[in-house]
Amino acid sequence: MARKSMLRIPDMDSSSENDSSAPGRSHRSLRVAENAKKKKEAEDPFLLALKYFSQVEAGTPWKGNDTLERHLAVVERVGLSRGLPPQAISILLEFSLSLRMGSLVSMRVLKFLIPASSVPQEAIIRGVSWLCVDKMPMSMQVVFVRWMLTVFDLIDSKDQLRAIYGFIFNFVTEENLCPYICHLLYLLTRKESIRPYRVRKLLELQTKMGCQPFLMNLLSLYKVYCPELVTLSVPPKMKSGFKNHNSTWKAALAAVKKSSTAELVSDLQLSVAVSGQPTARKRKLHSHLTVPVISSSTQSQNRQPGCKVFPLEQLRSFSQLLENLHRIELPAQMGSLLGSPLALHFLDCVRDSSAFLRLNFWLGHSLHEEFMFCKEASAMDRTEATSFLNTLISTQCFLQEGFAATELFLYKFLNIWDGSLLRPEILGLLSDIPVVPCSRIKHLLFEPLMQLFFTSSLFFKCSVIECLTNMLLKWLTWHSVYAFEDDLDISLTSQTPVNMTLSGLMDSVVELVQFVGRISAIGLQLEGYHSLLLSFTMDFYVTVSDMYLKYDLPLVLLPPPGVFYPALFATDPVNVDKLCHIMYRYRKNLMSAKSQERETKKPIEVSRKTYREFNQYLVSMVSCLWNSRAFQPGTGVELDKGLLSRSGVPEPWARFSLVHHPAFLGHALDFHQNCWPERTKMDLGSIKSGKRWDWYVQFLYCQGLHGLEEFIQSSLSRQSPSRATRDTTGGLSTSQTTSQTTAC
Amino acid sequence: MGRRVVQIHFLFLSAVVCYAMEERDSASATPRGKAPSNQSRKSYGRSRRSLGVELTNIGFTPGHLAGLRAPTSRELPKPRNLTEHVNPEQIALLVKNEWKLSYITPLYQFRHTQLKTYSKQLSAFIAAEKQQGLAVEIEADTSFRVTFSAVLGLAETEDDAETVFIQIHSRPPFAVEGDAPKVIWSGWLTCINGNPEYLRSLPSGFVCLPLFCTSGSESLTSVVKLWFEKTFDCNFGTLSLNSTCLQWLASMWTGCHPAFNIRYLKLVWNLPAQPPLDISYTIHPQDAWDLWNSIREQDSAADTISINEVESFMKGLEAHFFRHFRIYLSAGTLTKVSTTFGSAHCDGKIKFTSGDSIKHVLMLLTEYALLKMPI
Repeated sequence: MARKSMLRIPDMDSSSENDSSAPGRSHRSLRVAENAKKKKEAEDPFLLALKYFSQVEAGTPWKGNDTLERHLAVVERVGLSRGLPPQAISILLEFSLSLRMGSLVSMRVLKFLIPASSVPQEAIIRGVSWLCVDKMPMSMQVVFVRWMLTVFDLIDSKDQLRAIYGFIFNFVTEENLCPYICHLLYLLTRKESIRPYRVRKLLELQTKMGCQPFLMNLLSLYKVYCPELVTLSVPPKMKSGFKNHNSTWKAALAAVKKSSTAELVSDLQLSVAVSGQPTARKRKLHSHLTVPVISSSTQSQNRQPGCKVFPLEQLRSFSQLLENLHRIELPAQMGSLLGSPLALHFLDCVRDSSAFLRLNFWLGHSLHEEFMFCKEASAMDRTEATSFLNTLISTQCFLQEGFAATELFLYKFLNIWDGSLLRPEILGLLSDIPVVPCSRIKHLLFEPLMQLFFTSSLFFKCSVIECLTNMLLKWLTWHSVYAFEDDLDISLTSQTPVNMTLSGLMDSVVELVQFVGRISAIGLQLEGYHSLLLSFTMDFYVTVSDMYLKYDLPLVLLPPPGVFYPALFATDPVNVDKLCHIMYRYRKNLMSAKSQERETKKPIEVSRKTYREFNQYLVSMVSCLWNSRAFQPGTGVELDKGLLSRSGVPEPWARFSLVHHPAFLGHALDFHQNCWPERTKMDLGSIKSGKRWDWYVQFLYCQGLHGLEEFIQSSLSRQSPSRATRDTTGGLSTSQTTSQTTAC
Repeated sequence: MGRRVVQIHFLFLSAVVCYAMEERDSASATPRGKAPSNQSRKSYGRSRRSLGVELTNIGFTPGHLAGLRAPTSRELPKPRNLTEHVNPEQIALLVKNEWKLSYITPLYQFRHTQLKTYSKQLSAFIAAEKQQGLAVEIEADTSFRVTFSAVLGLAETEDDAETVFIQIHSRPPFAVEGDAPKVIWSGWLTCINGNPEYLRSLPSGFVCLPLFCTSGSESLTSVVKLWFEKTFDCNFGTLSLNSTCLQWLASMWTGCHPAFNIRYLKLVWNLPAQPPLDISYTIHPQDAWDLWNSIREQDSAADTISINEVESFMKGLEAHFFRHFRIYLSAGTLTKVSTTFGSAHCDGKIKFTSGDSIKHVLMLLTEYALLKMPI
């Protein structure tokens, strides 16, 4: 039966499976696949519903019919959200127009009959034939014809529809249908469909009904095709065109179209009009977060005559952009540029400050309206907000700069933010803000952030530290890109993102680093020195330690003890390794700052105190990890001997050596097992003696602890390879290294 | 359940005046942000992304919030005869409707000389929106006719752009020849005494008319807004009036009482009770003036009102109400203020009943609209 075969097609998801069922497959697997498909069909409520509607008997009661209600709800949901596939349209239209379950149900079906792609012509033809049966109530006839007009452009072909022109024409005499039928005829009319008797009929109607615009429009079309048949003077003041009859389906059509364009976006990465919602005419309540469609400005009076411009909406490819770069006109709404990657390339070349002001006004307005002024909770369209903010983030990332409007918005929003709404997006935007002058950084950034930081979860703390790391990274990058050797005042061109003075920038960086030092020290304590938070903090200091060499900013800032010691005594090797790497980079930076100072005789603002602090940290690390002399006088962390002995730990000074340190203990055990596989009694102390120690250190390097390698190789110069004198020479050489640094 | 509405009319007792004065101290303790003096730090330039913003120079040097703050004092409205400067017919247009308020970001490339062109463009745009999908000739005679006109003389300072008034006329479909087209929508954009620093800081291509008042169907309003957004790259947002704004209005109107008779001062509160309670509180103008005057006495500046005075005035009214009904009005929100001058609703609706009071209300509203500017 034809209907049966129709039923199978809507299962569009599995059609690709069918295609791939290559001849190589065995019959058995085909059968299995067939069965699986059948089973899937049997379970899919949508297909079940369609089956129901195609098979339901005429005269089945609809009142209190739960099955009907359930199936109706299913197809209605699909229809209003994604639109219905062509076959479903056929089935439902047939069900509705045949009035199998009364006109109320039929009307309801007509109202959600939104096509997803196209409408099969056969369905329309059958619909018209139902219309000819003349069983439908008049209101339904009107709704059906209006529906036809609404979906007219989606009908897959119109040849057969034109073939029944005469049948449709007959309904012109129906008073209520006349306006809609005229419109439909207007759309279907070809020259060959114009016959003298049809013209006569229309003229007759006109004398009966008066000068109605729909009749006039149809007649004037007839006159265009066959001026000899229609002798009629069209009044010059005639209203042009027909009305729209899509009011019933307007909202649903727009929603379906929007969801389908969203799917298309991935295909049209470079096309200009990707984010267009061309049919969303009526702006809904939450319209603040839509990027407008690109359109050229209507105000072309001030255009130079003879100067050819290239409208942005016609831009289709990158090469086109390159060819026409000098002729491209700014769009009517600057915000529309955010909608397309290609337009962003153009935006990158725009130097018109008014244009950016327009963009900032639009952006600021959108953000403020949505997140600050909007009273009702916008929990419903969180996805819309997310995608908008992500567009904004990727735009800023593309331009490598934050917009001023975003920045202003963030300063205000941070004060009312709960720290959880759209967290990744907000923090992403926050990390893009340009350098904040140090006089205001505390008030604008630190105070609100601090409140959120200390009252939120571990993961929020981590993401804040990460955000601040990125922020610092961007500030330093700007500096290193735009800093000029001779001119410390980098306010040269309008190109510079931060044309503040060098000292201004340095002050802000100092503030930021100290702030992160403070909050991470306290945060670590609050969170019980959680490895994750420690790791994010270490990542921050990886950037900080390299500011002079990598980013050319003459600044060395050390982590506070509240960060340094937790990292040194951390229980996981990753963080200790990172700390070693950081200390290595600090050392490099300090050394080169020192040599720079000697060469150029220009004082670089690294104070004696920093050197002293660094040496102190170095001594601590070496005595803990290498010399097994932790907690002893002069090593940074001093503990009373009595207190240490009361802890009952044997040889407490050696507990943080490379062998016994909780972070490396696992490696030590591993090494021990490899060295003495036959030993049953573990004696880690034996690693310390002779060649074993060197091997062990090499073994650690091989485990990927490169930070440790850098640190040991740079900070310890061992005078003698002999392990017998390790303790003394190691210590000596360390102090020598240390004193070198101090002497610098 | 419906809302309970309590209507309370009574004469204001003179004894209350002392009570109100006791309240003064606590009222003046309310902290108000002081406008920062942040215009000097020009040395921090901006990137090309914020080039324009740098030009505006207003409240934007990096890390500065928008420099606009609500002022803590303003001038007492003076009796002024508007008709000397402004065409009385145009004033009549502004007076008769209730206006819905919006704010609007500065218009790009708006020219007062092009109003005729705008009329045509907007007519065509409305026609096109009404029959989407069909091409519409600009010159075609559509059923909508739009007129733009400038209301000259309303501007207060040199920096204010002239007010623009828009009317949409429609000819009923079956109108008899000779029938005048009916006005179905009207709206106007204005800027009265806007913050001069802000206005001057905008680049020359921009015109700032931050206050948009409309009256007519919502659908036409949204079409007009859409046209403005597409043509001048601006954006609209609703302008609701907060309690402070309404309190200013109440005080300013009361302050005018000796010059013009305000007849009554009516305030409406909404209390967050279950079910919500609307309280309408009507005060005899002379009593309101007495209270106002008693608060004002000690202040030296005769022609300015400070926020402290406004707050103690309201405190006085609320305290009096509490004495009689044991209801703290301060627990609710002030939703409406009206006198014979006009009325203002917190949803952003305002009505003027006489041209005399228009200007100072518009100044206040311009100020609130400017506060909403994103940059």
